[in-house]
Amino acid sequence: MNTSLLKQVLGENVDEEDSTHVADVNFGLLDEYSKREIRRAILTAVAVPGYQVPFGSREMPVARGWGSGGLQISLGIVGPDDVVKVIDQGDDEGVNAVNLRRLIVSSTGIPESTTPEDSTLIQTRHRIPEDPLDERHVLVLQVPVPEPLRGVERDMRELARMHAEADYARMWVSLYEDKVRNGVITRTTGYPCLVNGRYVIATTPIPRWDVPRLHRSRFLSLFGAGREKRIYAVPPHTDVEPLTFEDVPFEVEITPGATCRTCGSSESFLVEVPASSADDRGHWVCSDSDWCRRRRERSLHPSRGVNT
Amino acid sequence: MGYAAARGGLKAIEAAERLVARERILGESSWLESRQMIEKLRLAVDRVMGEGGLWDEHLAASALRQAEGDPIEAAHLLRSFRSTLPRLAYTTPVDVDDMVVLRRIVPAFRNPPGPQLLGRTTDYTGRLLHTADEDTLREGAEKTAALLREAVVTDSDHDDPGDSERRPRRLLELLRELDAVVDRRRSDDPEPFDITRHPARPPATRSARLATMARAETGALVNVWYRNILGPDGYLHEITLGEVRHGRLPVTVIHPITGDEVSVTDVRVTEVEAIEDLDGIEEDRGRFDVGYGLCFGHNEKKAIAMANLDIACERDKGRSFLEQSILLTTDGLDASGFLEHLKLPHYVTFRSMMERKAAIRRHKESS
Repeated sequence: MNTSLLKQVLGENVDEEDSTHVADVNFGLLDEYSKREIRRAILTAVAVPGYQVPFGSREMPVARGWGSGGLQISLGIVGPDDVVKVIDQGDDEGVNAVNLRRLIVSSTGIPESTTPEDSTLIQTRHRIPEDPLDERHVLVLQVPVPEPLRGVERDMRELARMHAEADYARMWVSLYEDKVRNGVITRTTGYPCLVNGRYVIATTPIPRWDVPRLHRSRFLSLFGAGREKRIYAVPPHTDVEPLTFEDVPFEVEITPGATCRTCGSSESFLVEVPASSADDRGHWVCSDSDWCRRRRERSLHPSRGVNT
Repeated sequence: MGYAAARGGLKAIEAAERLVARERILGESSWLESRQMIEKLRLAVDRVMGEGGLWDEHLAASALRQAEGDPIEAAHLLRSFRSTLPRLAYTTPVDVDDMVVLRRIVPAFRNPPGPQLLGRTTDYTGRLLHTADEDTLREGAEKTAALLREAVVTDSDHDDPGDSERRPRRLLELLRELDAVVDRRRSDDPEPFDITRHPARPPATRSARLATMARAETGALVNVWYRNILGPDGYLHEITLGEVRHGRLPVTVIHPITGDEVSVTDVRVTEVEAIEDLDGIEEDRGRFDVGYGLCFGHNEKKAIAMANLDIACERDKGRSFLEQSILLTTDGLDASGFLEHLKLPHYVTFRSMMERKAAIRRHKESS
């Protein structure tokens, strides 16, 4: 397309370099107007912690349900100085993590890393890295179902009312009934949490293990639901309280005695590798593969430090 | 181990991509030309443009080829391509009366105002599979094509219905003259809801519902219609078709520099007006109402389902889940993307579920 015409039509925001990008593939794939729209939604989300901000979700080169919301956030905020890490189930090598990372890197030219220490932008599905994150990090979570109340109400008009009036009574009743019927609260991942004392959010399907790590965290968490067209946020130093009763403590996933067969950890989120034969009893490994690798290498070569 | 195979990162992905590309390119047949698909698989190309929300026959054909014929996947390719482009302009409103019809039927009257123009349809053709071997079929087709080309040269277009017949009056005009329809026309002129820029959620405007249905997956829309006719929902009843049209509409934009209206292309659309018998207690029993459907390309199933669902939504007035079903569950990319995401690894969530199962069992054993 003719650059001067493009400039006239697009207005002030396009310089020569950008217009060549537009003609080919723009930095971060999306056009600048879409990125601006996403950033505006993010700003609203940060300003009103836990509120699900509607946005005009774009169709991405990945299917909806495959991280299209997280990808839009990442591409909306990524800059040339960022370093990106992408994990799926905690694993940098999961096939979908690889594909998403490839899209981000190839459309921006920014470097990638598997180590949180070296990364600034971390996109994740279902996990928060084991390493402590801080002000340098933005955590982008891929959200399949952003609506925490859907299990108790299907009508979206009623759901909007319940959030607007902070009417979470039916959620409390459902948790109470769960406890009474089953003896324990049976909610697994995506545990409902009250953010900043106001909005209940779905904590994506991160395990309960990761939920306490959102509470007053030093990092910014952005939640993107592409299919459902919602963005919400947990800003740094914000209260994130799992919904539970005074006399029913919130429980994370712990299996007594389980340790990672590879690094020996018992202080990380472990996933089970089932028995593959009669004389194999199965074992556990860390779901955060890079954290596990570094622990292993550190124990083998203590002089290299944590982040090698 | 099961998941070791699904790990393996970049190398495995690239190998899978090469396999897809290789199998598409290899084989004994020649390159599948876009032109061929546009001419010979017209309805598939039209469907992809409609569900992709982008009018470009060549891109749609390309997408269909790249997607190995899967229309939802092809629509996805079109839509994600569009996400990379800035929106430079909006078209000016189109007057659908400017449509030059290629086909037009009016089931509601034997002799409606204007023509009953069957056009290109297999509606009244026996669905008999051509089972002759391919060489015979091809030979026959080539012979017929030669004859037809000759005929076009010698034959003056005496069958062409002429311009007034190509822009027929609407049955709705007649019904209005007869005072037989309720008048829901509004005097204000609200901006249409842009579903590509804002998520449409109930309660939504009519334009949001119509735009959603125009871009919906055809099968999904037909299913919402049918489950309301026969299935558990039952929020609509059968309409009588007042107009079924397939034709060309001009598309104009305001030129960014001269400020003049310029015609940039024309698009083929299917348009349907559906006459509804109002039978509700609080409704005007003495009159009909009308539902509207319009979508890209030649796709009558979709436009008819859309028109019936449009009027059903108007009458429902938000009492049921009908609007939410239409807005939230008919998009092909949403539904198939989410369905297929089940193939992604879920071992973290599953581990968490296993842990709770054990906790419940422990509690039962101890109490």
